[in-house]
Amino acid sequence: MTETETIKLSDYATAKGFCLTSAFWMMAATFMGLLGATELIAPAVTENIGGLVFGRVRPTHVNLVLFGFATPGLLAATFYFFPRVLQTRLYSEKLGVFTVIAWNIMLVCTVATLLSGNTQAREYAEMIWPVDILVVLAFALIVFNFFMTVQRRTEPLIYVSIWYACAAAVLTMLTYALGNVIWRPDGGALTGIPDAILLWFYGHNIFGLLLTPLSIGVAYYVVPKAIRAPLYSHTLSLLGFWALIVVYTHIGTHHLLQVPVPTWLKVVAIVDSIAMVIPVMAFLINIWYTARGKLGAIHADIGAKFVFTGTIMYFFVSIQGSMMALPQVQRVTHFNNWVVGHAHIGVLGFSGMIALGGLYYVLPRMTGKPLFSRFLADFQYWLILIGVVGFTVILTIAGLIQGNAWLNGETVYRVLPEIHLYYVIRAALGVLIFVSAVLGFYNIARTMFMPERGAG
Amino acid sequence: MYFPYFATYMAVGIALAIAAFVWALKNGQFTDQQRARFLPLEDDAGAGEVKRSRMGRLEILALGFLACAGLAASAAVLVFALVSF
Repeated sequence: MTETETIKLSDYATAKGFCLTSAFWMMAATFMGLLGATELIAPAVTENIGGLVFGRVRPTHVNLVLFGFATPGLLAATFYFFPRVLQTRLYSEKLGVFTVIAWNIMLVCTVATLLSGNTQAREYAEMIWPVDILVVLAFALIVFNFFMTVQRRTEPLIYVSIWYACAAAVLTMLTYALGNVIWRPDGGALTGIPDAILLWFYGHNIFGLLLTPLSIGVAYYVVPKAIRAPLYSHTLSLLGFWALIVVYTHIGTHHLLQVPVPTWLKVVAIVDSIAMVIPVMAFLINIWYTARGKLGAIHADIGAKFVFTGTIMYFFVSIQGSMMALPQVQRVTHFNNWVVGHAHIGVLGFSGMIALGGLYYVLPRMTGKPLFSRFLADFQYWLILIGVVGFTVILTIAGLIQGNAWLNGETVYRVLPEIHLYYVIRAALGVLIFVSAVLGFYNIARTMFMPERGAG
Repeated sequence: MYFPYFATYMAVGIALAIAAFVWALKNGQFTDQQRARFLPLEDDAGAGEVKRSRMGRLEILALGFLACAGLAASAAVLVFALVSF
């Protein structure tokens, strides 16, 4: 039996586990988002249900989108292509399945603790110490499995997707531990401004050093495979990878430009935020040149369609992000719904789209069965596309109204009625995203569990 | 006193990056870049066509109806919002 045949016979249990994890928790995550958006237009809707007040729903939504939907989706595709590109088997499927189980326990604990009010009250780092430890342990297991697989590879060259996946796992394990101050179990925080600086090192890196490299890694695998053409330039892809590693780790302080943090740190954050143009354009030029003249093949494959759309969203969110790091721009865009819109383009439009694309690309290949319904997947694609574009437009308008009101010294109670309409539309768009998550879960579950061909 | 945390963070990150870069350099990871472009294509697992069945079509129709109801609800909220203001 050749090595390739051995790989094809392996059951991809880890990838399947992360696949189901992502599809299931996307429903829970988007429901929490929808509930939060509803509470913003009708605050009394859950007034007698303590566990569902906005202050608890919002962090639950954010953490579930990050760790429940996007990351497991990207890990599902990564655990599929990792052994294939390295021409070996995954070091341990048992360890991988154990990681999936631990991951889901962590997610259940996240929901239970946050909704019951057990929080560290630090944005994006709300989870309490025991859950923090579970996250770090899960990433440690992934790092171990990845590295041992790399060590046992039969292909001497390491493809760029492997570089991105390994970097994401290692850097997130370290960033999470440091950013959540896990050596202080009681509070999980430092005090004052130093804690704010450390928190935003974490807060930005959890997106930039987890979702971004995993998403880019998946895109670099799916697009060449879908169009059956080689990558435009592997050298350019490595340039983008090393540029990302160098500049992305220090930009978190651009969240604190209006805070008395050291000026040198602000300068580093702003300069590196602008320098992000280098890794971003290295990736986008490479992937778009790879797909040049083959958009028909991209459109024909639902996975590649999601992924390619994600790359377009990456362009917008990155350009926006670099501009938002400029102090003059930030005077208007900070502390309002502009940032919320930006976050939705990045996490749902870029990483979420690529996570779903990765899922839909690998699912038929690792199950050996066709996708249950291409129609449902296409429908989900359009729901999400309309939803995320709508979020962008609506939240940007609301953000500009808020930003200008802030600058003009208007009081909050006079501004809120002005943006109420946009909050209503946001909740309506949230319905689209939630419906898409339910359809996606059904499609993915039926694909995995439906009988073999011919069984009807 | 917070500088030790940043110094640790940056130092660990830079040390890991340099170590990985040196390892890659010594192991010839930056040679043969032409062949590296083709690495994803070396395994080619195909997927079959979508199988259609009567039950499947009914399920899709039902789910389509569900989704359209969701869309209609969205539209209703939108129209209500526009009319109300």
